[in-house]
Amino acid sequence: MLIQNTKCECGHQNPVGTVLCESCGKPLFEEAAGAEDAPLEMRYDGVARRSQKQNPHLIDRVWNFFSSVKIAIYLIILTLLGAALGTIFQQESTFINMTTDEEFAAYYKETYGTAGVIYHALGLSHTYESWWFRGLLVMIGASLVICSLDRVLPLYRALNKQQIRKHLQFITRQQVTYSGEVAGDETAWVESFKKQLKRRGYRVHQDGTALLAEKNRFSRWGPYINHIGLILFLLAVLGRSVPAWHMDQYLALYEGETRQIPDTNYYLKNDDFTLELYDESELASNQKGKAVPKLFETKATMYECIEACNDPTRDPVLKQVEQHPIQVNSPLSHGDLKIYQNSYQARVRFISVNVTLTDTVTGKAYGTFALRADNPERVYEVGPYTLRLNDYFPDFGLDSESRPMTKTRDPNNPAFAFTITGPDLLKDGETYLYFPMPNEESKAYQAILNDYYVKNGQSSGKFAFKVENAMSGGKMVNVTFSEYTTFLNIRKDKAMPYIWVGAAISMIGLIMGFYWQHRRVWLRIDGGTLSLGAHTNKNSYGLRADVAWALARTGIEVPPKSLDNRRNLR
Amino acid sequence: MGKHRKLVQYLILAFVLLVGGYAIGNSLFTSSDALAKGDKPPAFKLADLDNVAHDWSEYEGKPVILNFWGTFCPPCRAEMPALQKQYEKWHDQGLELVGINLSEDQITVERFAAEVGAKFPILLDRDKKTERAFGLKQYPTTYFISADGTIQDVLVGGPLDEDDLEPRIERLMNGRK
Repeated sequence: MLIQNTKCECGHQNPVGTVLCESCGKPLFEEAAGAEDAPLEMRYDGVARRSQKQNPHLIDRVWNFFSSVKIAIYLIILTLLGAALGTIFQQESTFINMTTDEEFAAYYKETYGTAGVIYHALGLSHTYESWWFRGLLVMIGASLVICSLDRVLPLYRALNKQQIRKHLQFITRQQVTYSGEVAGDETAWVESFKKQLKRRGYRVHQDGTALLAEKNRFSRWGPYINHIGLILFLLAVLGRSVPAWHMDQYLALYEGETRQIPDTNYYLKNDDFTLELYDESELASNQKGKAVPKLFETKATMYECIEACNDPTRDPVLKQVEQHPIQVNSPLSHGDLKIYQNSYQARVRFISVNVTLTDTVTGKAYGTFALRADNPERVYEVGPYTLRLNDYFPDFGLDSESRPMTKTRDPNNPAFAFTITGPDLLKDGETYLYFPMPNEESKAYQAILNDYYVKNGQSSGKFAFKVENAMSGGKMVNVTFSEYTTFLNIRKDKAMPYIWVGAAISMIGLIMGFYWQHRRVWLRIDGGTLSLGAHTNKNSYGLRADVAWALARTGIEVPPKSLDNRRNLR
Repeated sequence: MGKHRKLVQYLILAFVLLVGGYAIGNSLFTSSDALAKGDKPPAFKLADLDNVAHDWSEYEGKPVILNFWGTFCPPCRAEMPALQKQYEKWHDQGLELVGINLSEDQITVERFAAEVGAKFPILLDRDKKTERAFGLKQYPTTYFISADGTIQDVLVGGPLDEDDLEPRIERLMNGRK
């Protein structure tokens, strides 16, 4: 880098990188030929950024990199492009039922074909959690802090100690200028002009026949306040990765089920799920014949565990803390936790049945007992007989060697094996299998297996299991089952208040910067010639109107348009 | 002034490095929550078939094999005899072999264990809590945990036969001293 002479002719020593002398405002760079009178670059009042140095070392170079607005813009563009990539296909984090990479890979391949394979392989299926996207965000954050600091401090200094009498070139090369003769007493004219500007809300400083008038300087701090808000926002978003600050998980509950909310001391019960569909008459023509949900609601109860919470040998003791019908946009909330309705699935799940033990020959009923799918009781007394639960298969099937097994952990097709003892039965008791599900497959299994026990001498075939009056008044009375499984989204977000505060600060900064403009007017009278220059960071129409208005009231009538220095040049 | 300025500069860059390191590190290293070799298993407290609670600390400091299984998983059934045989062979020498059932009903588990002749201790997971803490993806999964409490080996899937088990158990037993 070339070593510049940074000393101004007014005697002020300026830092490297200064464009306009910090004291008198004289431009420190020679302009190209033909542009000697071009309006000045007034950005940051011509002061040097803090980091501009003659011999930067490594840390300074890093600092300078982040201090560049150009770099900041590239970073923002890259982040926008990256964020856009993440919207091409559905993101992994939105799937409730998949966790492993293999599952995701298979899903993308199946759903989107080759493009999906490439998308997943590139890691774009989790764009927003990727190291490079996070890296970009962190870099934008760093750039925000460093860019702001590097500019706001020198700018504050420059605006805080402005010299009233500026260099003539500084005045005549402003965007709004006027020069002309002043008749009569110079000081008296300056006084009266000052009064007019004050009426327009300017703060005016006078130094003999030189004057500086200024209005709404605070709007210059708008962008920096906006940045403070954005940094707070970004930090709060980052804070979500601290586990204690954030929770976002899903819980599937069938009707009547109570489950613990993982990693908390709370339990949630789905008391009832209701689904309401739109009537045919309410649907648009292209929706006719489709089942369009109007409302889905989970009546939920939240419990807190108060005893035996970590005792695997006992059931936890629960205390009700909250009850709420959860609908979309109407979550159940308790403390930091919010529980939202996410979705539902029509899935019939057997819960319990009241079974009647009858005699196959006489049809006589011996008695009725209740049988549940979850943790069924071991012993049932029915009339003179004792039924001992011998085995239980929640989802009955046969393995490759035709041995009975359960295919899954869910009671999709439960089978109960009983040993029945009592009067007039085989000495060691009799074996029976009971399938509560009324489908053909399970009834076929039941018939075949019970026949087998008879042939094998394990049973006399005396008993049959029946559900009496299963339907009464259109309702199932002796059978309870869940029609729907509800999916609830459990969220905790302690970062949210900070996000709101950050957003509010950012908004205040934006409003400050957008709705007010920093306007300044300088003038000096040298030997009866008035030189006036004025500058604003936006809305030069307003500034020209202000100046023309004040000039008119001191006897100088000029059309506001003629004050435009830029227009006159072109 | 110059000194002060430099300090602020360093502080800000250090803060950026810290926050950035945390954010990026988080996305690089927490993508998988499944336990792997060298990890320490999470603590658990589960009931056995006699409804007696067992805490992980009971096994800590001994060579342990944890086998996660379910009656709904045919390879789990197929490997039970091999596990039982190895348990009989090594238990007297200090090996603990524990089967953790995948949150099934007790009666189902009891009958199954009796049928396949599994006599080693069986603990009952509840509501998939332990399964989730271990980050289990497939069944069966068998963890070989050395006496110093770290996972020496993980076998995902099965069925395991004695050739799979024997050398790993020998390593576990040799590592204890």
